Amino acid sequence: MKFRSSAVLLATLASAAAWGQDVNVYGTTLVQLWKQEGAGFDKATFAPATQFLGVDATGVGMEALSVHLFGWGRSDLADQSRFEGKGGGELMFGYLKYRAPKGNLEMQAGRFTVNQGVAIEQVDGASVRADLIGGFTLSAFGGRPVLYKTIDPASQTEYDLQRDVIFGGRLGKRFSKYGEIGVSFVQDGTTSAKYMDGSNTQDYTRRQVAADLRFTPTTGFDLTGRTVYDVNHHINEPAGTDSNKSKIAEHDYGIGLRFSPMFGLNGTYTQRNFRAYYAGTNLPSLFNRYEPGKFQSQGLSFVIGSAASLEAIIDVKKTDRETYGQATRFGGDLRWRPKGTTMQTGLGYHRVSADDVPVSGVFVTTYGISYNEIRAWLTYEKGKLTASADAIHHSFTDKANPNLYGKSSVYEVVGSVGYQAGTQFKISGDLSYGVTPLLEKETRVLFRAEFRFGMASKGGK
Amino acid sequence: MFKKVLLRASLVISLVGLLACSLLSPETSVARSHPEGVTGSRPMCTDCHENEPMKGTLKLYGSFNHTPAFVKDHKFAANQDNGTCATCHSQSSCADCHQGKGVLSPAMKLANRPDRMSPHRGGYLALHRVEGKMDPTGCFKCHGRANNQLCTTCHK
Ligand code: HEC
Ligand code: HEC
Ligand code: HEC
Ligand code: HEC
Ligand code: HEC
Repeated sequence: MKFRSSAVLLATLASAAAWGQDVNVYGTTLVQLWKQEGAGFDKATFAPATQFLGVDATGVGMEALSVHLFGWGRSDLADQSRFEGKGGGELMFGYLKYRAPKGNLEMQAGRFTVNQGVAIEQVDGASVRADLIGGFTLSAFGGRPVLYKTIDPASQTEYDLQRDVIFGGRLGKRFSKYGEIGVSFVQDGTTSAKYMDGSNTQDYTRRQVAADLRFTPTTGFDLTGRTVYDVNHHINEPAGTDSNKSKIAEHDYGIGLRFSPMFGLNGTYTQRNFRAYYAGTNLPSLFNRYEPGKFQSQGLSFVIGSAASLEAIIDVKKTDRETYGQATRFGGDLRWRPKGTTMQTGLGYHRVSADDVPVSGVFVTTYGISYNEIRAWLTYEKGKLTASADAIHHSFTDKANPNLYGKSSVYEVVGSVGYQAGTQFKISGDLSYGVTPLLEKETRVLFRAEFRFGMASKGGK
Repeated sequence: MFKKVLLRASLVISLVGLLACSLLSPETSVARSHPEGVTGSRPMCTDCHENEPMKGTLKLYGSFNHTPAFVKDHKFAANQDNGTCATCHSQSSCADCHQGKGVLSPAMKLANRPDRMSPHRGGYLALHRVEGKMDPTGCFKCHGRANNQLCTTCHK
């Protein structure tokens, strides 16, 4: 872990532990092991060790204050690392939180993840949220966006410059027992390329407004979703591009019907217009705002039974990306927890029927990417021991796909055993057998050590 | 420009703060952490709670049941009621899949939990070329603006 973040972690850990009434310290260490032997690569052994460390201290100084820290660090035990240098680390969040006894008033300061309305962002700054009289709810945040390395620092010099500040908020109105509507806003960066000198062609800034809705008067009916508008002033696009000018970044909706506790039907609809939806990307070559057309999908799923015993899901999803074509995924999943056992097992089959991919200027003019997917898994607990197995297999219909190097299957089998040593420690080891990006066979090992000190965790985790 | 916006932003936050304080709902806040331990990977709130409007969100408890649809489309509930999620989930548990700057794919980290919905199972560096072709927009949420250093080793 970087010296700075580990120092911050340690210092706060010490002070929080000293002052907090309830302190929770938790961590996971993951050590992976694999050998690289593929053609075109040097033989090498990789043994990256990743350490996640978190602290939650409640009642720091006063009852309503808490401190939350979480970070990771990484080094390679075999002294070589996959893609980055030898190590690395990052403080993912570290914030002070105040919770008032009334109205769910909450204030945060530090580095945290914002998750409200249109924004899901990592921010260095402050936020506030509260429930108001009359069923209104209000939240706002502001600060600096947590920046990431850019792809090509030479040609993306304005990245940091453009993304100078981030802020946003959401206003919602709740209708008791019926649901909620809300509007939200986010602005990321103030100095968009349009206002900069020179010939900047990439806009890293983003300004979006969204409306969201949830209407669920009974558990039998649930309508939810959101529409996001792009309200930024974009620079003129490069000549010759034929992009979709829609200001609507996204329509994303779901509807659920539950006829009885045992039967449910669920539908989804999504539409995304690339130019507006990809606004502010830092990877414009992959998420191309000037791609013509739009993306749309429709999904339908039918659920029978319950996860507590036997549950079956049949689902179909149709996707349509105009520049490529259509694909339909159809299949089912079964989940079974036999009565009186500590076992759970699942089985799934899906067929993906997809349009062919055109290839220009070679002998093969198209190749198919349709495939069948089969999955089977199992979890088992006995006393302090846990065990699981997971096998997933994709078989492609057309071997001409250049991305599959003449092979027709992509698969992975993972077996894992774990041991719960007391309430505070758990160790587990996974052995997996699958394929590399070059479709060559590969075996990997992963060791996992988890600990948690402090008050027992309630709820999820 | 920067200063102006910073000023405006802090003004808005303080205003919201003030407004929030004067118009604050008099209801007591919900418990900081869920008072009862909940086990199983797909908890049903209505196993323990009456299906009545929940304090705080004012929505029915049943609408937070972790059904297959809720889990798959948890974004909708999270967007409106993040505070409720936080009574049981710490930010670090969301970070299993939503890492600001990830190191391990969710499927690897949760390989010992096949009962969980972890994306990217089964040779994903190979498989994603096909899935990404059909729908690159679904990847944008998590890899479009951050968390994509790994991608740039191949996608320049
Ligand atoms: C194992 C039983 C159980 C399950 C399952 C369960 N709860 Fe609870 N919950 C309780 C108990 C017991 C309390 C404390 C008594 C009370 O406030 O009703 C509680 C309290 C709460 C509170 C605090 C209420 C307050 O007044 O501060 C919230 C919010 C809550 N639960 C939400 C949920 C949600 C959402 C789910 C489903 C994801 C859920 N619970 C599932 C047992 C459960
Ligand atoms: C009463 C406690 C409780 C509340 C409130 C709650 N959850 Fe959960 N949630 C759980 C538990 C327990 C699990 C299972 C965790 C595990 O298997 O390790 C879970 C699992 C999940 C999962 C992972 C499912 C999977 O298969 O991997 C997601 C996603 C999730 N919850 C989202 C949410 C969101 C979003 C909210 C708020 C709208 C929320 N939860 C509120 C208890 C809760
Ligand atoms: C097991 C993996 C997993 C966990 C754990 C998880 N998520 Fe997600 N989340 C996903 C996936 C996959 C998507 C994309 C779903 C889609 O495209 O419809 C997503 C999407 C979202 C989105 C929408 C993102 C956007 O840009 O609109 C939000 C918000 C979100 N999750 C919040 C949460 C919160 C809050 C938690 C913790 C309580 C959580 N998630 C835990 C897998 C996970
Ligand atoms: C819910 C968030 C989420 C979504 C949605 C998501 N990913 Fe990921 N993905 C992650 C995280 C976290 C990692 C680990 C990051 C890392 O290794 O740097 C990851 C890793 C990967 C990897 C490396 C996998 C490996 O085995 O090393 C690939 C390839 C990938 N994602 C492609 C995609 C594609 C293509 C999509 C869209 C079809 C997508 N992802 C959607 C969260 C997500
Ligand atoms: C080991 C190299 C490699 C890595 C690492 C990698 N990709 Fe890819 N990706 C490819 C290849 C090869 C293709 C196929 C390109 C084609 O068919 O034109 C592809 C295709 C895609 C596509 C479909 C592109 C399109 O427009 O049709 C998406 C989306 C994608 N990758 C996302 C990601 C994301 C997100 C990550 C990082 C989390 C990632 N990739 C990491 C090699 C990689």
